[in-house]
Amino acid sequence: MSARDRILARLASRLATGADREAAVSARLAGERPDTPRPMQSRTTPEERVEAFIARAVKADATASLIGSMADLPAALADELRRRNLGPSVRAGSDPALAALDWGGVEVSRGVGRIEEPATLSVAPYGLAETGSLAFCSGPENPVTLTFLGETHFAVVRAGDIHAGFEELFAAHRASGRDPRTLNFVTGPSRSADIGQTLQLGAHGPVALHIFVVGE
Amino acid sequence: MTAHEPTSRLFKENVKAAMADPNLQKAMKNAGEGFVGKRRAAAGGVPEFDQIRDAARDLKNHVLGHLDLYLARYEEKVTAAGGHVHWAETAEDMRRIVLDICRSVDAKTVNKGKTMISEEAGINGWLEENGIRPVETDLGEYIIQLRGEAPSHIIAPAIHVTSDEVEALFRERHTHLPADRNLSELSSMLSEARTILRQKYFEAEVGITGANMLIAETGQSIIVTNEGNGDLSQSLPKVHIVLASLEKIVPTMEDAATVLRVLARSATGQDMSVYTTLSSGPRRAEDPDGPEQYHVILLDNGRTEMVGTEFQEMLRCIRCGACMNHCPVYQAVGGHAYGWVYPGPMGAVLTPSLIGVEEGGMLPNASTFCGRCEAVCPMRIPLPKMMRHWREREFERNLSPKAARYGLKFWAAFAERPALYRLATRAAIFALGLMGRKRGRFAKLPLAGGWTAQRDFPAPEGGTFMAAWARAQKVKGAR
Repeated sequence: MSARDRILARLASRLATGADREAAVSARLAGERPDTPRPMQSRTTPEERVEAFIARAVKADATASLIGSMADLPAALADELRRRNLGPSVRAGSDPALAALDWGGVEVSRGVGRIEEPATLSVAPYGLAETGSLAFCSGPENPVTLTFLGETHFAVVRAGDIHAGFEELFAAHRASGRDPRTLNFVTGPSRSADIGQTLQLGAHGPVALHIFVVGE
Repeated sequence: MTAHEPTSRLFKENVKAAMADPNLQKAMKNAGEGFVGKRRAAAGGVPEFDQIRDAARDLKNHVLGHLDLYLARYEEKVTAAGGHVHWAETAEDMRRIVLDICRSVDAKTVNKGKTMISEEAGINGWLEENGIRPVETDLGEYIIQLRGEAPSHIIAPAIHVTSDEVEALFRERHTHLPADRNLSELSSMLSEARTILRQKYFEAEVGITGANMLIAETGQSIIVTNEGNGDLSQSLPKVHIVLASLEKIVPTMEDAATVLRVLARSATGQDMSVYTTLSSGPRRAEDPDGPEQYHVILLDNGRTEMVGTEFQEMLRCIRCGACMNHCPVYQAVGGHAYGWVYPGPMGAVLTPSLIGVEEGGMLPNASTFCGRCEAVCPMRIPLPKMMRHWREREFERNLSPKAARYGLKFWAAFAERPALYRLATRAAIFALGLMGRKRGRFAKLPLAGGWTAQRDFPAPEGGTFMAAWARAQKVKGAR
């Protein structure tokens, strides 16, 4: 008997038996679940959603700005880079939404994150109003290392992709058919309180996170 | 040394040392109330918080009642995504599996995200013995690894270290940097550690992380962090190994959300931790980054033996640390006094389950039964009740100290004879009242040195509780 079989047999001998157990598990995994309470924060109306998302992202020490359309991104990004005394270049993936843009004076290099990345840019397929989080999917379009290696991480999310709560976000994710290795929820820039129990921003990941919310 | 040898049976001696350690006392004083206030504010910000706690409890009870079935479903999904599930009955099994995987890719360096299961299984010492260098990348874990210590808190492993001690440690160990560099600011220490560890991420062949949850629906493992080190540790090396205990299962992504909604608020008082990552399998065919291999090692180590017993509810624990943040005993002595991997109230219950009541049986006595741990536990684990179960077992098995056993027997001899008990307490109260009439308190009392060493004992006034109760009942009856 393998370790696996011994462990499962030990559990089975200690738990109730019966065919209904298997059915209960199948039903639960098929999406049947008891009514589960949700926090007030997860029940924004469409009208208040973007505002709530930004407020909560800012509470988590991110910064954010609204832009009218994707076409406005290059100019908005150039402004942000200047304001932060960063050079006019970013690292990004092959996301078609970025590839289609005229970047003007900003040099966009493509590829994975390297050991030093002053500025990186990713597109988040989802935002979460409940917590002010972004959710990224790993892959060539937005390599996962860009999310963690950029000293300043710039993120783009469409207002229409911001969901009220986890339930709506996960429903959209299942419906999209995406199957990334990682789904990364990001809520503000990285931080640590491990030295002297005093919170500091910029642990191993980005020191700053700026979100461009693209209106319709 | 493959694991930190437990010193839980020396709890009393450990406590004395902890109380006499000025650095530890300074660090604990500095840390203490911060967590409490932040949790209160975060929980208070969600009107439905207590209902979500109930739902989280029910969800985990459902999983534990069907754990064998969920584990089998979870394994199918991991395998379908191209990952591998390994089953470890003991810590030793887990060490062997980790080493086999590391050797298969000829690993020299292994990066570690924060994982308590690694501490439980003694992975670091074992890798070192076998010529592989483990590098802790969580800043707190990095600090204690340099100090040669175990974590003293499950989410703030270096909570017992002051910033002055960190500065001295960095100067002593980072000898490649100029000795006269300025480290007076916390930010300069953080940036120094960041630079050193950034290099390590690109050197390691294997990355090890823990798992806050495992999702049966999708075969994903979840890590929740604030630093980003767990993600760099799993995304840059060739191999990602997840170490998880087998009760970490939740059915679906929505169920994970229910737990996430109470986890960060209970732990650090954040609405959401900075990074919550759901990982499945190795990198996809078209992916330019991410690991080429994904392994999950499920650890039993005594947990299946808890299922179906009065300790099963402990398996709901999500390792938020709220119980220790709110424990007066933990706050006074810190985590190392508990002598093994898990400190505070959750450690007092879990340690005897995992390493035996002979070694860990002292820990459930480290409680005033004030009940704060249970009051704040997001999974509503009845910690004080379970500590009482352990005390009973310790007594049944003749493991408690002789003086305590004789004292209890002596007391029981009276308690089982109510008339004698009342007579004896009346006499004692009368005598003490007479002796203490002048000052109203005692600075010293025979057999009560443990009390009077710290504070005076008030002299009794006006008879026993039983007498007062009888009088009150009589008055009530007369009305």
